[in-house]
Amino acid sequence: MATLETALIVEITLRTLAICGAALLVSLALGLPLGIALGRRHFGGRVALVSLVNSGMGAPPVVVGLVVALLLWRHGPLGVLHLMYTPVAMVVAQIVIALPLVVGITLAAVGALDEDWELQVRTLGLPPRWRRGLLLCEIRLGLLAAVIAAMGGILSEVGAALMVGANLEGETRVLTTAIVMYVGMGEYEMAIGLAAVLMGLMLVLTGVLTAVQQSGRR
Amino acid sequence: MSGAALLSARELRVERRSRRGSFTLQIDALDLRAGEVLAILGPNGAGKSTLLRALAGLEHPARGAIDSAAAGPITLVFQRPAAFAGSVAHNVAAALLGRGLERAQLERRVREALERFEIASLAPRRAHTLSGGELRRLALARAFVLAPAVLLLDEPFDDLDASGQASLSLDLRRAIGDTGVAVAMVTHDLRRALLLADRIAVLLEGRLAQIDRRDSVLEKPRTPEIARVVGMSNLVRGVVVAAPDGGRRVEVDAHHAIPVRTALETGCGVWAGIRPEHLKIDVGRGGSGIAIGKAVVRSVVDDGVAASVALAWAGEELHTHLLAGRGLARSLEPGALVVLAVQPEHVHLIPVAEAPRAAG
Amino acid sequence: MRLRCIDMVATAAVSLLLASSGCGEGSGKLLLATTTSVRDSGLLDTLVPVFQERTGIEVQVIAVGSGAALRMGSEGNADVLLTHAPEGEQALVTSGAALSRKPFMENYFVIAGPAADPAGVGAAASAAQAYQRIAAAGAAYVSRGDDSGTHRREQALLREAGLDAEGGWPGFARTGAGMGITLQVAGERGAYVLSDLGTFLAFQQHTGLAALSKPTPDLRNVYSVLRIDSARFASGINAEGAQRFEDFLLAPDTQQRIAEYGVERFGRPLFRPLLLRE
Repeated sequence: MATLETALIVEITLRTLAICGAALLVSLALGLPLGIALGRRHFGGRVALVSLVNSGMGAPPVVVGLVVALLLWRHGPLGVLHLMYTPVAMVVAQIVIALPLVVGITLAAVGALDEDWELQVRTLGLPPRWRRGLLLCEIRLGLLAAVIAAMGGILSEVGAALMVGANLEGETRVLTTAIVMYVGMGEYEMAIGLAAVLMGLMLVLTGVLTAVQQSGRR
Repeated sequence: MSGAALLSARELRVERRSRRGSFTLQIDALDLRAGEVLAILGPNGAGKSTLLRALAGLEHPARGAIDSAAAGPITLVFQRPAAFAGSVAHNVAAALLGRGLERAQLERRVREALERFEIASLAPRRAHTLSGGELRRLALARAFVLAPAVLLLDEPFDDLDASGQASLSLDLRRAIGDTGVAVAMVTHDLRRALLLADRIAVLLEGRLAQIDRRDSVLEKPRTPEIARVVGMSNLVRGVVVAAPDGGRRVEVDAHHAIPVRTALETGCGVWAGIRPEHLKIDVGRGGSGIAIGKAVVRSVVDDGVAASVALAWAGEELHTHLLAGRGLARSLEPGALVVLAVQPEHVHLIPVAEAPRAAG
Repeated sequence: MRLRCIDMVATAAVSLLLASSGCGEGSGKLLLATTTSVRDSGLLDTLVPVFQERTGIEVQVIAVGSGAALRMGSEGNADVLLTHAPEGEQALVTSGAALSRKPFMENYFVIAGPAADPAGVGAAASAAQAYQRIAAAGAAYVSRGDDSGTHRREQALLREAGLDAEGGWPGFARTGAGMGITLQVAGERGAYVLSDLGTFLAFQQHTGLAALSKPTPDLRNVYSVLRIDSARFASGINAEGAQRFEDFLLAPDTQQRIAEYGVERFGRPLFRPLLLRE
């Protein structure tokens, strides 16, 4: 038990990548268009929606975990889905945590554009799909910041992951929850090994994304 | 020189409501003709930008229509052109995205547009690193790459120094001639307008006060307000009287009169307008025109290109221009007494209280 | 293969934590290592204030897994242990890290599960037999899997039942998390689970699980207090404080308190004191 079990570390890491990757992709797929839409248009309830997004960004992840748990557990409104303590529940919780981050940062990036930028592109007579492409290109830096922030938040989340996933071996055990477990068990070798993997993952992913982000500035 | 009307506005009415209040733009008739530049002048808040945006199709008119007989797009170049992330070449190419052009064709058109405005050497530069003048050229290249039928320009010479303005206007003039595009240009600066204008439209309080060939508007403004907008800064009130030699004069006061050529009745109250360039300081060499009396020099402002002289005459302040650095500009001092002269045909008369009418 | 340097880093980290919270020297502070189930039972919340008021010694309670608590003791990172893992405790005494082991209270583990009891655990004569039935039925089962006292007992029972100590039948899940979460997962899945009494009662309403096992000898859970040998470790062990704490736990009035604990909250006591004269 006091050994570094490589196969186990690999299994936990792959699962972490799968769950966090899925959450990240969904958050981006939902959050980027939402952030762009909120950033451009000015409509009636916009201020209210933006404050909601900002509150979401600041919401403690454990609170999110609790809310999701209350929704998904047996006696909760979505209990019939039997999603509690499954990877799906963890993905859901992570999406709820990351979505406000993506929306908030994206809408800030869009809002930083000149007021008539949109108008100027429109008067060029470009078809809508290309207008969107130009917009994405323009806010590229902000978008990548959103991705990095969301990824960081998702990968490092432990409280909510534990609450809705329960760290079940072979099912919902990810790097963060495993680290907590091994420390609690006094198995520091494994804990440090997993922590090293997690840090390495973060550094590599963030490094790659930052390189992409900064390459756009040259 | 005027070609077919490529864009026509008829009975146009645009209403805007802002925090400051409501504003209505009302244009009875306006045409933009191929190969011709219409400069739209007017004080701030007159509705110039609104008119331009309406012509671009960005406004929802409450009434009226804008018809386009154009075979190509109507393109608006903004006062502060947007520089997209990427190279200058990409910025110009962006305008052609999604139109199904072949790559070779697209590159050729981009190159042509860049060369038109002499920024082909800037093609690989990041658009964000361009200077103000370079950015303006980029915006124009981007507009021309679309092969527009109608080009609408909002302050195209903003941020440019005198030589920049001169060189850009040359390139623009050439491009307009080459492509036969109909151009409308909005500016608050008369001199910049005159760099390109074939016709001038003066907008006052949302209405077309006067629209005519450039020289007609400059020399024959219909109202004092229009006169001020087109730079006829010398405007004095007077009465038409008979001159001793059988002609007419405008009597400003007991001691000051200006000789004029007019068919107006004597006793008619008028504004007499003289463009500064037509008001001469008589140095006794002749050819300046008929003397209209003495004036005291109030100030001489020399900007290296021209010297602007303010003079006190008949209780009014008149202005004239002298070539900088030349004899008179150098020697004239405030307080000096000079003789003013003008050619009668250069004095434009506006009968008092004539309603302004637009002419096509 | 034990990596010594990682061992030392871990020790250093924990020592730093402990050192920063005050020196163990003198009677000022007492570091008590115990298990999460003991902490979650709430017993210490009742006893520790009494001890502190009486002796003026501030008690710092560190609740970790049973294995981790024993390890803290063996490395001199705690002054006194309150655990319920007899074999591990015995080893500590044998090695000399602990001066003594004094059992002072007990209760019984409970095998809980769905009220319908499809595997028939309620009819089993012993815990080992209960496990045989569960395995035979291939029923859903959730284990703590965290090397805690409860987990070790579970492993012992599985071995006694002739089964793989890691379970092995489909439906066997391991949380590696605390008792509470493990119970919740069992409740959510309608699975069987081995739990300490206190936590089970605390979560019963929430999980909807029923206590199915009888208090058979193999489910007996004995709690002991161990004093760590101060002579062995360079970092100051509060030997005096440990002694006073042990005396306190063994004292008649404390034993009486233990006998009564839980009645108000659960309607029945959680523990049975071992030293109370009837």
